Amino acid sequence: MKLDRRRFLGSAAGLAATATVAANRIWPKYSVSYKKSSSRVAVLNASGYSETLDGLLLDGLWLFGLCVTGKTVLLKPNLVEDLPGPVNTNANIIGAAARCFLRLGAARVVIGEGPGHQRDTELIVQAAGLKPHLADRRIEFVDLNRDELVRVKLKANYSGLGELWLPRSVLDSDFVVSMPKVKTHHWAGVTLSLKNMFGIVPGMKYGWPKNLLHWHGIHESILDICATVPIHFVIADGITAMEGNGPLQGTARELGKIVLADDPVAADATCARLMGFDPLRVQHLSEAGRFLGNLRADRITMLAESLEAPIRPFAVLPDFHYLLARTDM
Amino acid sequence: METISLLEDILIRRQTLSGGWSFFGSSQVSVEATCLALLAVGSLTPESGNHRLDWLLGRQQRDGSWPAFLGDRESSWTTALALSVLNVMSDVVPARERAFQWLLKEHGREANWLWQWKFRIADRNVRFNPAMYGWPWSVGAASWVIPTAFSLVAIKQFTACKRVVDAEKRIQLGVGMLLDRACPGGGWNSGNNVVYGVPLRPHVEATAIALLALQDEEPVSAVGAGLAWLKKSARTTRSAESLAWSILTLFLYQEPIEDLKSSLAMIVGEGTGVPNNSTLATSLLALKCGRMIHPFAVLR
Repeated sequence: MKLDRRRFLGSAAGLAATATVAANRIWPKYSVSYKKSSSRVAVLNASGYSETLDGLLLDGLWLFGLCVTGKTVLLKPNLVEDLPGPVNTNANIIGAAARCFLRLGAARVVIGEGPGHQRDTELIVQAAGLKPHLADRRIEFVDLNRDELVRVKLKANYSGLGELWLPRSVLDSDFVVSMPKVKTHHWAGVTLSLKNMFGIVPGMKYGWPKNLLHWHGIHESILDICATVPIHFVIADGITAMEGNGPLQGTARELGKIVLADDPVAADATCARLMGFDPLRVQHLSEAGRFLGNLRADRITMLAESLEAPIRPFAVLPDFHYLLARTDM
Repeated sequence: METISLLEDILIRRQTLSGGWSFFGSSQVSVEATCLALLAVGSLTPESGNHRLDWLLGRQQRDGSWPAFLGDRESSWTTALALSVLNVMSDVVPARERAFQWLLKEHGREANWLWQWKFRIADRNVRFNPAMYGWPWSVGAASWVIPTAFSLVAIKQFTACKRVVDAEKRIQLGVGMLLDRACPGGGWNSGNNVVYGVPLRPHVEATAIALLALQDEEPVSAVGAGLAWLKKSARTTRSAESLAWSILTLFLYQEPIEDLKSSLAMIVGEGTGVPNNSTLATSLLALKCGRMIHPFAVLR
């Protein structure tokens, strides 16, 4: 058979793709796997950030039978800027989560965040309305941008960073809870529990923003961080979410949901579906499904409300139209 | 006056045994917290003369830079802050010269022609002129407002008597970068002023620090708009860190600061509620503003 130029290029491309897939199987970019045979997700209906959140959240947490007795629980909310609107994880849900974990037996709750844009963390904590929730001496806020740091070898190698300095408060905690605000994101497509972990990377080393991670790839850095600091639980604030030009300048979207999950990938996949997106099209989420958790709907057990497609998908910037799910959920 | 003495005592007591300061009381000394604390209380510590700078001078790396904290070896933006400390407090010329040379060589990653081309042709979601570059937070990253502003202050201070051509060129580029990154309504944030065609909001601290770097520049419209925004915003700021930087800047622009100092004194109180040593040090500098040499003043 004569090998013309078109056939040669086609064969070469096919060979390269096969080699890449084979290489990823033989030499995966991750050295850990947190994927379970199945994961559990509970989507709770919540009409607002009222005082009933404590009860609602506690009932939701009971569904999972979590064992946090005597543990230090780290709550990692998404506190970005002192802006109005649904930019930050709502303080009432953060406070409710902290009190719930104490009621479940946690020894202490650390609320840790390292905002990525503004250096004045105190200003953001004030503006977010978190101060009143820190009255209990067992609930403490830690500025992860300025915590004591430990150099850590990354357990995945998507970014090529190899290692990162990470806050001791994060590394010393027993149970990590990612508490994202459900939002679209103008660089990553969505910002959910996995992307939220960008906030553990310390500004005192990597700056405001943590720009070195951007240069090494946002999706890649997310995967490396989440492989290194496993998320044990997710409480996603989707009561008032954000669509459009998130994470700062989008518009409020009343979703009326809190998503709980014992698997961050399952949590984010569920949130993406609630937003009307195909989780497989979110680059870091698709890859995270290989080793950080379960992406496929048939591997996710819904404990509370069933998953319903949104009447109207979340608005996205034109660059992210590809995220929209077609018909299947 | 009594408040200031009280705060000075607290900050001095928080000095680590190794000689520097950490942010929140750990043994991992931060160069930023140490620099600000030295400016605030360095003259009051038991060590005499240049010995009070021993920790800082001992951490300067061979290439002239400083890392961000004890245990790290990578060069960082804190070199600018360290040079400002030495400019104000020390006559150790070789250490200053080496820091100055490192700053002259360091630049944001977008200074490379290849990245400039990328940002001009392919990646235009953030509005900025990549030809106008400054300094990054860490080596290998792009230029951002605050490290650029501190680098400009340090270089301007160091070259106050004689400005070499290379320094003048970097100053012009850095000033150009700050003006290019100003938010459309006045003020600065971390450095992204318009993203996807939408203007982003300025931040108090970044605006104050950017204006520090522009104190001796022509009062172009971006400076005026930034100053107007800062004056308005500082009045309602209830965070010690942002308010302190605002006072330090507004003083240099000869704006009234006494009411702001009163507000800051109220917020800081007796200091025990300010666990962050860099915030406490900056607050002290702000409260002492007008009674001591301004550590970020640029004289020409």
